[in-house]
Amino acid sequence: MHLWQATVPFCLLASAALPAAAASAWGFTDATVAVQPKGAGINGGVKEELSSSKPLANPVSFAGADTLRVTLTTQEGSSAKRPHQAFLLLKDNQSGLDISYPFTVKENGKSRVELTQKELPLQFLTLPGPVDARILIGGFGNSEAYDHSVFKLSIDRDPNIPIPTTEAPRYGKLPEIHHIFNNDPSNPPIVLTLAFVGAVIAALPVLAGLWLFLGANVNHLPTALKSAPLPHAVFLASLAAFEGIFFLYYTSWNLFQILPAAAAVGAVAFVSGSRALGEVQGRRFAGLR
Amino acid sequence: MPAKRHAATTTSAATPATTAPLSSGPATLKTNASPAEIAQHVWQQYLATTPQRTMLLDAFMAFLVLVGGLQFLYCVLAGNYPFNAFLSGFSAAVGQFVLTASLRMQTSDSGSDVSKPSSKGKNARFAEESEEGTGISHERAFADYIFGSLILHFFCINFIN
Amino acid sequence: MRWCLALLLFCFLAAVNALSSSGSRLLVVLDDSTEKSLYSTLWSDLEGRGYDLAFESPKSDSLSLFQHGERAYDHLLILPPKSKGLGPNLTPKNILDFLDKDGNIILALSGRASTSSAVSSLLLEVDIHLANDRSAVVVDHFNYDTVSAAEKHDVLLLNRPGPLRSDIKAFFDGEGVIALPRVAPQTLGNTSPLVSPILRAPETAYAYNPKEEMPSADDIEATGSQLSIVSAMQSRSSARFTILGSVEALEDQWFSATVKTVGGKKTPTANREFVKQLTAWTFKETGVLKVNNIEHHLATDGEIAAEDLNPKIYRIKNETFFSIEMSEYDYDKWVPFEVPAGDELQLEFTMLSPFHRLNLQPTGRTETGVIYSTQFVTPDQHGIFSFRVNYKRPFLTNVEEKHEVTVRHFAHDEYPRSWAISGGWVWIAGLWSVIAGFLAFVVVWLYSAPVADKNKKTQ
Repeated sequence: MHLWQATVPFCLLASAALPAAAASAWGFTDATVAVQPKGAGINGGVKEELSSSKPLANPVSFAGADTLRVTLTTQEGSSAKRPHQAFLLLKDNQSGLDISYPFTVKENGKSRVELTQKELPLQFLTLPGPVDARILIGGFGNSEAYDHSVFKLSIDRDPNIPIPTTEAPRYGKLPEIHHIFNNDPSNPPIVLTLAFVGAVIAALPVLAGLWLFLGANVNHLPTALKSAPLPHAVFLASLAAFEGIFFLYYTSWNLFQILPAAAAVGAVAFVSGSRALGEVQGRRFAGLR
Repeated sequence: MPAKRHAATTTSAATPATTAPLSSGPATLKTNASPAEIAQHVWQQYLATTPQRTMLLDAFMAFLVLVGGLQFLYCVLAGNYPFNAFLSGFSAAVGQFVLTASLRMQTSDSGSDVSKPSSKGKNARFAEESEEGTGISHERAFADYIFGSLILHFFCINFIN
Repeated sequence: MRWCLALLLFCFLAAVNALSSSGSRLLVVLDDSTEKSLYSTLWSDLEGRGYDLAFESPKSDSLSLFQHGERAYDHLLILPPKSKGLGPNLTPKNILDFLDKDGNIILALSGRASTSSAVSSLLLEVDIHLANDRSAVVVDHFNYDTVSAAEKHDVLLLNRPGPLRSDIKAFFDGEGVIALPRVAPQTLGNTSPLVSPILRAPETAYAYNPKEEMPSADDIEATGSQLSIVSAMQSRSSARFTILGSVEALEDQWFSATVKTVGGKKTPTANREFVKQLTAWTFKETGVLKVNNIEHHLATDGEIAAEDLNPKIYRIKNETFFSIEMSEYDYDKWVPFEVPAGDELQLEFTMLSPFHRLNLQPTGRTETGVIYSTQFVTPDQHGIFSFRVNYKRPFLTNVEEKHEVTVRHFAHDEYPRSWAISGGWVWIAGLWSVIAGFLAFVVVWLYSAPVADKNKKTQ
């Protein structure tokens, strides 16, 4: 199964290369790719032969401090010759990023290019997958130029080293922003509220009980009503009316509705109150209080 | 409590029939009295010398303290939302307490002469008022108290929304 | 305000049979009148689209871009002169002033001769860079015309460009190949959002100086898609400046040439269509946006009364509705503007910084516009806010709308009543029990008979 899958692209490539080989075409021989880690000797690291017709099966791993070196001998037809263009092209097929590194070519076609990660554009460092490494060889005239993928370059980097941001200012849509609102204030548990409402209202009977225990009474009410019936009745009623007006203000009325009412009740309360309290004073002087 | 009160009345009855002046208690305090004894002494002194009318007033003030305390406790337990309601409910109790305390100050100092005005009659009324510390009659103080209370109630109802 | 003026101007000029949205006076700067005949198809095409062409030599004394301090022309087409420089009347400063006054410019370059340093410094002002020796030519051994440049490989055959990004509308796409002889390449600065490439070189292309025999590896500065063949700069005021690397692509001969790619068939060139798109875009026949109408109001189900439209004041946490109607100019008429797929028209509700940034959705359509709208809740923060639509995209004129409104706090009678909040019941009960206690106390104080004294009297 594996063999079959491997042979199919090879056959396709071979058949594509056949007519090209007939005409004069650019190509290369003696190609190697080497990845040399920092500090390793000239023969250290990985070294692989490149074929001009078939890319390497496994991606070449290229780590942070490594030096990538590609050497080859350029040919026109089958004789070594210096081309006008000899590039190592790195291309990411997903994002469409591409960058070329020209080979240093001698007259006899011997070419080499060396590359470290520092020379790569920052965008290449953040790519998820390996990039396609292609070799371009071309010149003027009728000879057909060479452009084939020769290996995949997997750019490995230390994830702990942050990449400088590469964001260039570009016009485009921006992320949406939705305002985060403060939470609405929440009510305490209704049970707690009702318990305290009960306690506060229960304070009224407690007050009544305490007064009764202390001997409070309304024994003077008949006396007072007898000596000054109108002022006392009207005074008490006007006080109750005041609180009633306040209650209406609380529930439905506005300030301009209560002001005339309060003024009227206030006048009544003032007149009747002074009479009623005069009577009370009379009782005090009579020693009844 | 009733027993104590009874004790207080009996001890006061032991002294001459006229009401005892404020300075003289049912029993004199020893110089090396314990705090509990002092507290009990003060309490008995209060029961013995305070007129009943002032006691009713004190009961109302105790009620206000109770209501205000409950509201404050609720605020501590359940949070202060809605805060304006807390402010106005609590300040109603506190304000009413303050007003009642003023009324008590203006009316309670006449405890000693409760029985006197009857003998003097109406003609002595003005002279007697000037004798009082505040110079304001009880009824005038009460009218002021009602006026202040109504304003307080209006403020609180307005603020509670 | 500028839009109103532009619209007025447009209405006025429409009567004089102009089709551009920003005027019809086009000045062509070219060396001598013999050269003029090389481009006759271009001139007739432009005249057919309603432009009034004026031709001037760069050396001419009467050449002036301004008259009485105003632009004397609406558009400018500069062909590369044979002599050095553009002459005393077309200094880089004059050209930039023309751009500042909303004039549109096409500047053609040629790889046949080195470009003058005046042009190079003009381009530097807009962050577009030429090769160091200003005489580079783009070659591509994979995409050249085998008919006319079998040996030198300097006539590029490229497909017409698609959209620059997936979220940008393509203004220059279409069928066919464009022939671009002897291109002077440009590289674009990376720091400005105003500059964008219209047509890039293919990845196998590179630039070299034809005067040198063999380029060494160090000589090659930029390769592949880093090289821009046609670039555009749109200023903040939406004036447009296009740089075309190959002036020969405008010639009659390339408008109707037949070309053949490597291993391909003979095909006619699409230069004429591409140049039409290029001139139309630069001279604001395409890619021009207009805001017809902006409305905002409280969100309601029914109709909106006129007095409730675009209020000056909102309250916090109001449900608010915003809509904007946009048109786009398309050669000779306003058509509804559709936001490209993948892009969004966005509304910002800002006070110093945006509190909301929302994508506007198309909700309606008129004869010439699309209505985009959204609904949102005003933030719980009072202050002076503004509805802001800031739509700036490559190849489209800038839209920057800002409408200030006040966001106020709750009025005192807009809060919920105290009894509606269960947490406040205790304090309501406290207040009313104090009042009840007060009334009871009044009665007790007025009418209570002294008990203790009675006891004493009985004693």
